[in-house]
Amino acid sequence: MIKEYFKIAVKNLKTRKLRSWLTIAGIVIGVFLIVSLFSLGEGVKQTLTKQLKMMGGDLIMVFPGEVSDIMTTLIGAAELSESDIKAVEKAEGVDLVIPMKYKALVSRFKGEQKQTLIYGVPFKNGLSVFTDQMGWVLKDGTWPRIDKREVVVGSLVPEEIFPGMKVGDEIIIKGRPYEVVGVLVSLGSKQDDQMIAVDMELYKQITGEREDTAPFLMVTIEKGFLVDEVADNIKNELDDSQKRRRGQGEETASYSVITSEKIAGVAGNILAVIQLVVYMFASIGIVVGGIGIMNTMYTSVRERTKDIGIMKAIGAKNSTITWIFLIESGVIGFIGGVGGTVLGLALAKTIEVYGQFHPVLYIEASISLFVVFFGLSFSFLVGCLAGFLPARAASKLKPVDALRYE
Amino acid sequence: MEALIKLEDVFKTYQLGKVKLDALRGISMEIGKGHFVTLMGPSGSGKSTLLHILGVLDLPDKGKVFLSGRDISKLSESELAQARGKQIGFVFQQFNLLMNLTALENVALPMVFQGHSEEERKKRAEKLLGSLGLKERINHRPSELSGGERQRVAIARALANDPDIIVADEPTGNLDSATGKEVMEIFIDLHKKQKKTIIVVTHDPNIAGYSQEVINILDGKIVKNHGTKSKVLWKK
Repeated sequence: MIKEYFKIAVKNLKTRKLRSWLTIAGIVIGVFLIVSLFSLGEGVKQTLTKQLKMMGGDLIMVFPGEVSDIMTTLIGAAELSESDIKAVEKAEGVDLVIPMKYKALVSRFKGEQKQTLIYGVPFKNGLSVFTDQMGWVLKDGTWPRIDKREVVVGSLVPEEIFPGMKVGDEIIIKGRPYEVVGVLVSLGSKQDDQMIAVDMELYKQITGEREDTAPFLMVTIEKGFLVDEVADNIKNELDDSQKRRRGQGEETASYSVITSEKIAGVAGNILAVIQLVVYMFASIGIVVGGIGIMNTMYTSVRERTKDIGIMKAIGAKNSTITWIFLIESGVIGFIGGVGGTVLGLALAKTIEVYGQFHPVLYIEASISLFVVFFGLSFSFLVGCLAGFLPARAASKLKPVDALRYE
Repeated sequence: MEALIKLEDVFKTYQLGKVKLDALRGISMEIGKGHFVTLMGPSGSGKSTLLHILGVLDLPDKGKVFLSGRDISKLSESELAQARGKQIGFVFQQFNLLMNLTALENVALPMVFQGHSEEERKKRAEKLLGSLGLKERINHRPSELSGGERQRVAIARALANDPDIIVADEPTGNLDSATGKEVMEIFIDLHKKQKKTIIVVTHDPNIAGYSQEVINILDGKIVKNHGTKSKVLWKK
């Protein structure tokens, strides 16, 4: 029976092609919003979660700017000064201070030039932190020797950026050759997996940066100290140092000291807000699409009043009429859902591909079956809900009145 | 013999804006199985309203209607739909075919509502259309058919579920006299050969001449019943 009603419903939709497609377009836009925003939001979340997991719980991070203004810090060029770094090193309980630097530079491999992200890593005294607490593991090769022109690359470099690259190959960065001595296993974030890591001294040579400033410090703690305790010590040292320097007329930047645990918390909060906004916008889109369906279906009921009367006269039950109209709106919703999902995924993928080379803000799209399933079933549901009242109105028409309608 | 359709003191009032219109004012009648009845009367006499009630398309405000002995006021909406689909076939002045369906699909539609299989529906619809001389037109849409052809499709549709009763509301009203005559001959044939009960509304006295019984209606009341055999009872 339902199969027959389905055929009738599809036939009706086809009879009003333009209007059906316009209504479908309304749903497409709503679902498109949901799917693309959701995929991107979810991608950002997954990337962050992975990265946070890679970090051990006992790390302290120091970076310029306020936590509440994290975006400025990430995008902006603010760096911690040499004196700041010294102050951190002086704090009680601090074991190692590992500055991290990065810059996007053009590299060449076998005649192919590409923008790559170069990380300056203090391999000399910091390697153990990377291997023990950041999850750096070699898939192939060795760690670079200090004072040699050697680099290790992230797992995606030989796969995507310079296909075919292997240990022992030569890579040209800023016109000078370096040997690739190691390839890492995936670190969980695309950005990290696409980097080329060099020793800090080498990094300074390559980029020409002389000062020991850093946009980001990682601090490990000595045994027997608590993370929060050491973080407080660092804050005090930095405050004292900055106060002194301000007394000498030097300008100082604000800074943040955070433990990896707290970062997870902050990131979690930001993500929650982002997701809330995403859901809000997406639901507005869907509601508008749903109103479009309802509008179309009411018009359709009006227009087909006589047809409804005829069908009732020849034996259609109220439930039959309800079914036919519900299926029509459900089909509109579903087709809109398919279209919106496809377009949404396409946009998310496009952003992922083109959003790749900002050194820090990396956007990854997460395309899960859940999003697809959600997009499709939600639009179908909205279609049915929006169609419910018009369908009921249609089924409640009295056959005689409906037949008389012109 | 029990009447196929029986009306007991039926009233029907329409509210047209502020004006109350008494379409039917106390009609009692019986129609036996296999009869050919014509309802006649000027416009506004209530004959179409009466036809709708006889075809259980509408319910009376007062009074009782029995279809095969069942009081239809006791039936649910879906039972009424079922009764219309199975026992009654409608033919309208405006043909009332669904414009986006072919002739074949139009004829098959009542069978869809009764849950017949696709194969069964197609076979029967083809047979019905063929018997009415529309074999070549089954895949045409109503807009591609002439008035007479449309009415024959509508008759085929009315016969789809092999109902006992055919109810026709001015079936020749939109046709020229020659085509109208052809259509009436189909009704006569259905009555004679298939023993269908036929109820026709018309104001054309020529058409009334085809039937066994003629009921005249004026101002919502039966005023005259000249049947050859008095199977139609009326009061007052």
